[in-house]
Amino acid sequence: MSLNQSRMGLCALLMAVLFTTAAVSIDYSSSLKAGKAELQSAGPLAFGPDGILFVGDSVGAAIFALATEDTVSSSPGRIDISGINEKVAALLGTSADQILINDLAVNPASKRVYLSVSRGRGPDATPLIVRVDASGKIEEFSLDNVKHARVTLPNAPDPDAKDRRGQSLRMEAITDLAFVDDRVFIAGLSNEEFASKLHSIPFPFEKTGNGTSVEIYHGAHGRFETNAPVRTFVAYEIEKEPYILAAYTCTPLVIFPVSSLTAGAKVLGTTIAELGNRNRPLDMITYEKDGSRFILMNNSSRGVMKISAENLGSYEAITERTDIRGVSYETIDHLKGVQQLDRLDETNALILVSTDSGSLDLKTIALP
Amino acid sequence: MPRFISTVTSIGSHEARVLWGTSLRVARLFLSFKSVLVCVGILTLTILSTSGLPSTIAIRLENQQGAHPIFKVVGWDQIGQISTQSARFGMDQWQALFAVYVDSGSFEDALPPMLGSYRIEDEALIFQARFPLQPGLRYRAVFTSASEPIILRFEIPKSEAIVSTTVEHVYPSTDRLPENQLKFYLHFSAPMSRGEAYTRIHLLDERGEPVDFPFLELDEELWDREGKRLTLLFDPGRIKRGLVPYEEVGPSITEGENYALVIDRDWRDAQGNSLKQDFKKFFSVIAADRETPDPKSWLLNAPQAGSLQPLSVEFPEPLDHELLMRLLEIMDPQGNFVEGSIQVDRHETRWQFTPQEPWREGDYSLSVDTTLEDLAGNRVNRLFEVDVFERIEERITTTTVSLPFQVLPRQ
Repeated sequence: MSLNQSRMGLCALLMAVLFTTAAVSIDYSSSLKAGKAELQSAGPLAFGPDGILFVGDSVGAAIFALATEDTVSSSPGRIDISGINEKVAALLGTSADQILINDLAVNPASKRVYLSVSRGRGPDATPLIVRVDASGKIEEFSLDNVKHARVTLPNAPDPDAKDRRGQSLRMEAITDLAFVDDRVFIAGLSNEEFASKLHSIPFPFEKTGNGTSVEIYHGAHGRFETNAPVRTFVAYEIEKEPYILAAYTCTPLVIFPVSSLTAGAKVLGTTIAELGNRNRPLDMITYEKDGSRFILMNNSSRGVMKISAENLGSYEAITERTDIRGVSYETIDHLKGVQQLDRLDETNALILVSTDSGSLDLKTIALP
Repeated sequence: MPRFISTVTSIGSHEARVLWGTSLRVARLFLSFKSVLVCVGILTLTILSTSGLPSTIAIRLENQQGAHPIFKVVGWDQIGQISTQSARFGMDQWQALFAVYVDSGSFEDALPPMLGSYRIEDEALIFQARFPLQPGLRYRAVFTSASEPIILRFEIPKSEAIVSTTVEHVYPSTDRLPENQLKFYLHFSAPMSRGEAYTRIHLLDERGEPVDFPFLELDEELWDREGKRLTLLFDPGRIKRGLVPYEEVGPSITEGENYALVIDRDWRDAQGNSLKQDFKKFFSVIAADRETPDPKSWLLNAPQAGSLQPLSVEFPEPLDHELLMRLLEIMDPQGNFVEGSIQVDRHETRWQFTPQEPWREGDYSLSVDTTLEDLAGNRVNRLFEVDVFERIEERITTTTVSLPFQVLPRQ
């Protein structure tokens, strides 16, 4: 083979690789249109690819995808800000008791922290997104002219609609969301019937209502089967298959494969842990340390739990009432009052923690 | 030290004036500015100002009760020069020149300046706040174009509290609840504030001791859109048999015991005012309900044709009030929805429907959405807890059940 032939062959190979790459990669941002993102509320947050921030809007019964265009790490490092609630309130010209910090998410691309905030505590509160970096700078992420897309929750009641008797319709509170396998998964809880919907909507969003919803059930010790609303969940990969690792409102920690979440399916999670009474799981992250996989979960009254996440795919569900409570876990004693949790980088997590003085602090902690 | 500090209680438009020499104290100017960029900008302006005459600078607050109050710097003799450069100013540069802060809290010195926009208009430097000012809060306006900053504080008077919001209803209205009661609906007379529900609601046993963690506490409190109705779920982990919370601690409420649901008057409404009074609902607990509501057991009292008499439906047990308002419909002989109004009474054991137009003779039906629940969350088509060992295979799978009734001619 001549040198020219070799070069041509190499070029053809490169072209083929490039073409193939281009064919399979998705330009997530191109589906977003510039304009004002009309959020009616700002609740749970999750980052997707390319710095795209998903925001759950319970009042508007919608999910927003916002292009933060924040894809470069500007000032990496620890983020430690005391009194973040007072500082965000001051930015908004008010006092800490007049705002709510609803959720936080770390942009994995830039390591900035995004907060969903309500200015005001009544039904006419203004939703905002605020972001913070390692320098301590707190700024608004403006929604006035941002590339975005909005999709309504599948089968959601129209927030502006009234029923024939003029009453406000029911609402579905979005309790958590995550981007998994090119889909946004949303856990919701109705303010009327005890339903347990987990919605999934393909992203880029195509049209209103193209998502699906499945009912999630819990089987207590293989006997009593109940609707089981999901409070918080996180994506987890087992042997290259995406799974959802979820904490039910009734406390068990369960796992189910994303492939089981097809329209009309009845999904029964496999219980991997029961985390005890007088406790509610708040947030979860997954991470690897020293070659082992773990789940870090903050709870309302049992502190932060470090849970072994090895071999979850082959885990045998808890089906008998025994003293064994599933996967092993340890409680991280020194972490108290953790309200929100997200992973900052490979070795650190970011927490929003309440102090005895009543203020909220953003803190960077080493993954235990 | 600031050259001028004043606290002003702000009623109407306020201003403070200060005589400010424009003499060139360049060295101190450098030391006092935090931003190098602005420092350079202001230095240039200061040098341009060579008159040596004192100018009178005032900071005014205008439209203080409006949606976007205005803080205005007037009487600054260098406004013309800054105006020509301001097109290139970023937010940091504007804020280094003139910024407004919330002036309270334990992090006072570290608080960021308030959000808003800047402009120069009619010889004045204007900061227009993004949000309204909060009554009862103090604000600090800092103008930093002198060798020493000019600081002015504004206190927005707190309006008189109007305490009028009450708990209007709590459903279920009955005082006998099953041990596996699933939820309460709390109705308020005005919109409420979010974020403190679970600290303001208590469940007391008959000794007056609080029951620990009886309810499902969600960050996303389950309000309606108007903020006037809160759905309060009992902790499902203490209802579902077989779960650790149920097995170890037991149900939140126990058969044979008496309780009081107490709502603190300290709970603030959306205006920041507390409730008019405490609210208490006393109830006793009966056996857990593990039966599905059976529409075949309902008693329908059909009205007469030509009348506006209500159709009355009586249930052998109380059903979920809010779902009764939404999930029952009347269909006319042609299968169309009948418009009308609903009344639920007798502790949610009776549902009445009054049509807008008189009934016509013929075959009507009551359409029941099978997601209708009883007090324990048992649906028409599914128990709250399905015992898979003793599963009833003839479970209803349709989404509605139709109960026919006949409207007969007036006797």
